[in-house]
Amino acid sequence: MKNKLGLIFSVVLLLLLVGLIAGDLFFEKPKSQKNIYEYDLDELRQVDSSLIAYKETASFLIDGEAVYGLALDSDDNIYVSGRNKLWIFNSNGEFQSSMKVRGDAHCVNVSESGNILLGVGNRVDVRKPNGGLNNSFQIKGAKAYISSIAEKDGVVYIADAGQKIVHQYTIDGKKINLIGGKNLEKGIRGFVVPSPYFDLMLGRQGELWVVNPGRHALEAYNEKGDLISTWERTSMRVDGFGGCCNPSHVAMLSDGSFVTSEKGLERIKIHLPSGDFKSVVAAPSQFDAGTTGLDLAVDSNDRIVVLDPSRKQVRIFELKE
Amino acid sequence: MSEILKYLTQTWNIKKLVTLLSLFVLMMTSGLPLLAQQQRFPKPEFESGYTQPVTSMPDARSDFFALFDVFVLILALSLITWLILKKRSRRGVLAVSVFSILYFGFFREGCVCSVGSLQNVTLALFQPEYSIPISALAFFVIPLVYTLFFGRTFCAGVCPLGAIQDVLLLRPVTMKTWLQKVLGLIPYIYLGLSVLYAATATDFIICRYDPFIGIYRFDATFFMFSIGAIFLLLSAFVARPYCRFFCPYGVLLNWMSRFSKHHLTITPNKCIQCRLCEDSCPLGAINKPVPVKVMEDRPSATKRFIKLSLIIPALMILSAWTLSNFHENLAKVNTKVSLANELMLFKPDAMLPSVEVEAFKSAGTPVEELYSEAAVIVEQFYIGAWILGGFLGLVFGLTLSSLSVFKYREDYTPDKGECVSCARCLKYCPVEK
Repeated sequence: MKNKLGLIFSVVLLLLLVGLIAGDLFFEKPKSQKNIYEYDLDELRQVDSSLIAYKETASFLIDGEAVYGLALDSDDNIYVSGRNKLWIFNSNGEFQSSMKVRGDAHCVNVSESGNILLGVGNRVDVRKPNGGLNNSFQIKGAKAYISSIAEKDGVVYIADAGQKIVHQYTIDGKKINLIGGKNLEKGIRGFVVPSPYFDLMLGRQGELWVVNPGRHALEAYNEKGDLISTWERTSMRVDGFGGCCNPSHVAMLSDGSFVTSEKGLERIKIHLPSGDFKSVVAAPSQFDAGTTGLDLAVDSNDRIVVLDPSRKQVRIFELKE
Repeated sequence: MSEILKYLTQTWNIKKLVTLLSLFVLMMTSGLPLLAQQQRFPKPEFESGYTQPVTSMPDARSDFFALFDVFVLILALSLITWLILKKRSRRGVLAVSVFSILYFGFFREGCVCSVGSLQNVTLALFQPEYSIPISALAFFVIPLVYTLFFGRTFCAGVCPLGAIQDVLLLRPVTMKTWLQKVLGLIPYIYLGLSVLYAATATDFIICRYDPFIGIYRFDATFFMFSIGAIFLLLSAFVARPYCRFFCPYGVLLNWMSRFSKHHLTITPNKCIQCRLCEDSCPLGAINKPVPVKVMEDRPSATKRFIKLSLIIPALMILSAWTLSNFHENLAKVNTKVSLANELMLFKPDAMLPSVEVEAFKSAGTPVEELYSEAAVIVEQFYIGAWILGGFLGLVFGLTLSSLSVFKYREDYTPDKGECVSCARCLKYCPVEK
């Protein structure tokens, strides 16, 4: 009886094999009428609400043609750079002052000394705290495009999205070094920057963190340009970064966790210092579809300040209680 | 008896090891390719200056190593033939099987393989511009030559496809002769189709549906993995399911083996009719003695011969005509025919173009050129379908006739065509030289 059952089972399996092979060989598979290269972003936009650890507590509009960059000073005043202008607000979002800028200031940074650094095309403007122009210098290279800027102890780090490199200058405009150029012997793979979003920031120990967006990675360098740490997370889900080049912007919380913003899937998340996903600050549903350039900053109370260029708003997120 | 038990215990250990190894390999092949994939969106927003690298093809295996493979094949064939015919050692066959799994299977990743080389030879015969690699030709011819003299010793343990099934056999089920004969028609169909598709330069379907290649290469599509897994599962209960009911090269070896002069014999001396070997063959390839009383008388044999002489040609014509009516369906496997067909049915107003249609249009080739090429291929399939149909009709007729033929036999003898010389039966024979 057992043998008979085994035999029947085996013959059925054999016939199944014949059917499978014949079916694959002779029957045409239905061809999808959809574009096979298109992703279903709607599905990826869905975020489990239990993962969202922050809530939006405040926001304010900026009266400007276009806004690009965001920075905070040591008193948590908010600086927003945009087309031909720089706006300054206090931590409650009340307007303080504004100043004219020659061109589109794609990024802004306020140093510990109070200097305001603006990246305008291929030019760096260094302004005094009162707004007066202290210095201005240009980055060489026809493709130079400054997308992020940071300064510490008179050394300026400039992310150049066009030339896919980080320039190291003195605040007086003297060139010191190039950081992040491909050097496999030193373990540096080079930056992959297919879009004009290439961010950098200084970490808690003064190390330089640079986004390598094409590799979905963050890389840390010392002041000599040596690679000291790196992590990357490629994923179409919430635990990593997808698309050609993400994250587009980063900031750091007081515990060393990273705040990241993305384009394509407009979302803001927290990643632990190890790079592992921790939580969501804002889900794609909280932004207009197609929003890019969500610049980030973190204030002294670990509030996350977001520049929303689509709505021309500064939006503030705080941890849910 | 104790020696048999000891032997069984030892082989069981090897089987367990190979089973575990196979399961591990299956797990690896099913998951890793998925993990390795990375998807990206949306498209980059501005020019990166990136230049597409030229597609490079891996170099062919160097002449030295190709010849080395041939050398290893000859060595393995000679060794296993000696082990079967002279040493009558099942253990030796198992050792060579394990070697073949490791060398021809995992190390050489199942290529070059005698089973697939059948297609290379066919393609070389029908498409003169194709130059067949010498190693492929050698892998096709050498096992056939050995089989012609010594029986299917290649199948016994040198073919990595056969070897992997053989070592996994745990609880063989016995099949009725008629069922074996019916299922045994599948390899003939498979052989005919693979020759047809190779001759028309359509596809190498033996390679496409090789169930074990994905396992040997640690790289399998889900479909390949599925058929490989089913075959391995079947191998535990049905002895060598691929060899017996699918392998097209096995058909050629079967034919050759029928003429082999030095084929394995169950008993090294005179058979004492002890019947110990009767159920030892998991392939059912032992012919039992036929008593004289069952023998057919001359008038009825003549009558049957006349009937068959009429039935077989009729079957051939009927089968050839039937298949020729399906030649267009057979031809659709060809990518050019399939594309031409798709373009003919394509309605730009109501349908989105498939990737293939879009690629063809962007290449700028005139559609008429494609249609005329496709028409030539369909014509080849028309002729091929007649020949294939005739061949299958002949096989069907001969199979029917073989079921009704009684051959007088005094002893237990291996069925030379079906026997894969696995040497299992040898251990059961108490007769000594």
